[in-house]
Amino acid sequence: MTGPLARAARWWLAPAPPERLAALRMLVGAYALVYVAVRLGELHAVARLPAAQLRPVGAARVLSAPIPPAAALAIAIATVALLAAFVAGYRFRAAAPAAALGLLWVTSYRCSWDVALPTENLMVLHVIALACAPAADAWSLDAARRRRAGAPPAASAAGCGWAIKLLAALTAATYVLAGVAKLRLAGVEWIDGELLRNQIAIDNLRKALLGDGIAPLAIPFLDHPAAFTIFCALTLAIELGAFAILLGGRAARVWALGAWGFHLGVVLLMNIWFPYPLLGFAFLPALRAERPFRWLIGRARSRLPS
Amino acid sequence: MDRAFALIASIALIGAALSPLVRRPEDDGFPLSTYPMFASRRPRQLTMSYPLGVTADGGRRYLSPGLIGSSEPLQAASIVEQAVGRGGAALRGLCEAIARRVAASPAHRDVAAIRLVTGTHDAVELLARDRIGAEREHGRCEVPRSAP
Repeated sequence: MTGPLARAARWWLAPAPPERLAALRMLVGAYALVYVAVRLGELHAVARLPAAQLRPVGAARVLSAPIPPAAALAIAIATVALLAAFVAGYRFRAAAPAAALGLLWVTSYRCSWDVALPTENLMVLHVIALACAPAADAWSLDAARRRRAGAPPAASAAGCGWAIKLLAALTAATYVLAGVAKLRLAGVEWIDGELLRNQIAIDNLRKALLGDGIAPLAIPFLDHPAAFTIFCALTLAIELGAFAILLGGRAARVWALGAWGFHLGVVLLMNIWFPYPLLGFAFLPALRAERPFRWLIGRARSRLPS
Repeated sequence: MDRAFALIASIALIGAALSPLVRRPEDDGFPLSTYPMFASRRPRQLTMSYPLGVTADGGRRYLSPGLIGSSEPLQAASIVEQAVGRGGAALRGLCEAIARRVAASPAHRDVAAIRLVTGTHDAVELLARDRIGAEREHGRCEVPRSAP
């Protein structure tokens, strides 16, 4: 098979170490697990709000009325257990899709009582993508069970490279959409900085009037409108250039660093925290995520008596 | 896992992730968001209701969400807006509840009274130059202090 489509398919399916995908499974899965586990109390409290406040979004759109709070809590606890299996790579073929569905439901139901938080979107998309991938072929309880049974290691015919590229593409898509939204809603004049300056001023003023902490760099920059033109140009360059992450190597890492810097800027100017990208999870597909695990395994082996 | 599945799953998920491009940008969703968060036009003026602590010498102190009745800023703002909207007993009740919390807070010993106001401010002028806009008072109550 030849031609551009065949070449694109070959590039998409180019091999990558199964350990890299396994590392992504463990890291992204662990983030999602902690995310749900630390919010169990909040999820239960929110589910007891008056029914009139329910505005179903995402998977919760099937609802016309709230589910009992105990059921909401039970689904969240089951999701935590399924995500633990996801991280460990235990019965992955069954547990991973169930964990992804559970996470989609829990986050959708939570957002149905409040404003949808864009920090959760990419985490959910990454878990869904990993659930479709052969992410437990290495460093998993499933792989250990196969080894003990004397079976050959699982090796997907499609390899693991496509799944890592898929995670990178999903990261890129979220940033490109954010850039396109700015151009669609405000036009190219978004770049002059006035709109962003107003946004930052209003957001910080609302916090100040409620006695909440304002961002450390907001006030120094509000008196310098020209700085916002630079911020806007950089923001659009990062967002619309997000597919650079698919190039891999240095280009992907430079883009990831720029995107991380953008989120740091949002903290310093607006005191708004996006933990998934700020902690680097959004950019893991651009990195050699298996390296820390290899290092840890090497250290553990060197300490074992020979 | 075969190559056809890998390609179909990839196309389906990327297509779904990019599908908000065919929706109106204001039509946000979850988890397939249009990401309108920092894209919408915003005026520079903000009108909102909030409580103010007033010190004995007439100084103003902004009060934290916890003193209003919720540690969550958005919920605290909603509590104030609802009380202002209802007026009368709801407004007095909120003012007195805030005053009791302020009385119990060692960090607010200098606050003598609570005002519930709706203010309209130019956000840049107030934050960068301390120029306060117009404020309309809806209610006022004293902070209960026991005699020394």
